[in-house]
Amino acid sequence: MIVAAIKPTEHLAALAFAGRHRPRVWEPAPWIFAIAFYFAFPNYLGFGTELLVTILFALSLDLVLGYAGIITLGHAAFFGAGAYTVGMLAYHGIWNEPISSLMLAAIVAALVGLGSGLVLLRTQGLTLLMLTLCTMALLEEAANLGHEYTGGFDGLASLPIPPLLGLFEFNPLYPRTQYLYVLIVLFIAFLFVRTLIYSPFGQSLAGIRENTLRMHAVGSPVRARLITCYTISAAIAGIAGGLWAQANAYVNLTTLSLDRAAMVLIALILGGYGRIYGGFVGAVAYMALAHFLAKLYPTGWQLGLGLLLVVIALFARNGILGIGEALLRRIRAKHMPQ
Amino acid sequence: MTACLLETRTVSRNFGALAAVSDVEFRLEVGARHALIGPNGAGKTTFINLLTGVLRPTQGRVMLKGRDVTDIPEAQRVKLGIARTFQINRLFRGLTVLENVYIAVSERLGIALDMFRPAGARRDVIEEAMHLIAALKLEDDTGRRVSELPYGRQRLVEIAIALGLKPEVLLLDEPAAGVPSAESHIILDAIGSLSEQIGVLIIEHDMDVVFRFAERITVMVGGRIFAEGTPKEIAADPEIRAVYLGQAYHG
Ligand SMILES: Nc1ncnc2c1ncn2[C@@H]1O[C@H](COP(=O)(O)OP(=O)(O)O)[C@@H](O)[C@H]1O
Ligand SMILES: [Mg+2]
Repeated sequence: MIVAAIKPTEHLAALAFAGRHRPRVWEPAPWIFAIAFYFAFPNYLGFGTELLVTILFALSLDLVLGYAGIITLGHAAFFGAGAYTVGMLAYHGIWNEPISSLMLAAIVAALVGLGSGLVLLRTQGLTLLMLTLCTMALLEEAANLGHEYTGGFDGLASLPIPPLLGLFEFNPLYPRTQYLYVLIVLFIAFLFVRTLIYSPFGQSLAGIRENTLRMHAVGSPVRARLITCYTISAAIAGIAGGLWAQANAYVNLTTLSLDRAAMVLIALILGGYGRIYGGFVGAVAYMALAHFLAKLYPTGWQLGLGLLLVVIALFARNGILGIGEALLRRIRAKHMPQ
Repeated sequence: MTACLLETRTVSRNFGALAAVSDVEFRLEVGARHALIGPNGAGKTTFINLLTGVLRPTQGRVMLKGRDVTDIPEAQRVKLGIARTFQINRLFRGLTVLENVYIAVSERLGIALDMFRPAGARRDVIEEAMHLIAALKLEDDTGRRVSELPYGRQRLVEIAIALGLKPEVLLLDEPAAGVPSAESHIILDAIGSLSEQIGVLIIEHDMDVVFRFAERITVMVGGRIFAEGTPKEIAADPEIRAVYLGQAYHG
């Protein structure tokens, strides 16, 4: 019998797995960019805030779509649930302290996620896609009809949002507080999601995505896992929506619209789903492109974006990050001695 | 009476008008080395699906360790100690070999709900997975994605996953099908070194393997149990030779 020369856990691939969650050298880069943006573009902080909210929203979508493989077109349901929670509580003078409002937004969105998930996640594929869409449409219609509470089609404007921690004023013209506030919340949410995806739970989500039937055969309570993941994702989307409402001091039907759900999906696919940073890259690329194209072709800019998406879908399934990874692999292969 | 691990009582399963499994009375004892043979389409895989809960029987009961598990879903039966491999690979194709086995071990240990610690911090799980990977001679492929492996090596991952569940009942559906003959001994060695306490049921077409491994053989034909006995009895039965053994080698 051959005695193994090294312990099994010291196998290179085992070591790589054991350390895969460690931060890579480039990982501070996006955060440094985000802080640099604050100082470099004080006049664009409104745009920057919107961008950060979109990144957070995309991050929540990535958890269900990229990691658990749940196909959804209705993720704005949770964004809107969070936004309306913050908006309605503040507008009707019930509660408006920013941080606790945000937690309430998360809880309400999570409950919507749990409730709909219990029903939806029995289905798969196209049925699931349609049902997510229906859930969102139902909420949108409810918000439209309940104008006494929701402001209906006009939404609720001039929300009275008090200063953050009683110190930092939310100024709609110079949204410095908004920008830093959203950045900090994004960072916390990101740390949470990053921890989750490298955890045994995250590994089991990947298992469900890769082969649901096999997960049953290893004894995994698949539906409960999916519902848990969906609920967590909904809570994060709700936080994104709540931040959006606080930053803009208004809430309206666009928070629950298919436009918003489709936009975040496009951004995530553009960046590359299932890669945590896909939302970052995708949201930046999407917003920058939309900004740029809208200036060039004020009427037909969405056509350009649509074309780009077709190109991505045909030639770069894994988005911008996927292209980057493929290039890196090629460079490494060239420099490796055969 | 020896202790019975798994038992069926007049189990049947129809697909429309087709009776894929009919009135099967079957017992798997503790420590059994049992083979299930029969021509293609005999209903062997369907029978395994009934035992594991992938399919519900049209009629009859399935008992696991004396407990009626007929209405218990597949995932919960795994927790009760039953594991299987699939005739056609069902793997986490986009994940590495280590991740595939890690998932099985972590589900068994019940740590898969842990969201706040890195999977890599569970050295015990990695170590156990690596032992299984080593037992199936997959060390060199540990970090490779399953989809990049040749089919025969993927078959070994199937078995590593099932063993990661530390079952009391192990059901192997043609584990060596598609494995190059130079590597099929890896599978036999792995199965051979299983604990005496585990009951193993193997579906296999290679009669050399069956007669070497099995202490008991059940022959299934047309969804029914055609014969059951020791390898000697089965080999000596002229009727079985006629219906099955004679044509087994092109199965
Ligand atoms: N899900 C199914 N739906 C319809 N017919 C099936 C299904 N699964 C198996 N069968 C049929 O049942 C019979 C038994 O199949 P199977 O159990 O796979 O046989 P074996 O594993 O012995 O080759 C075959 O005729 C097969 O076509
Ligand atoms: Mg079969």
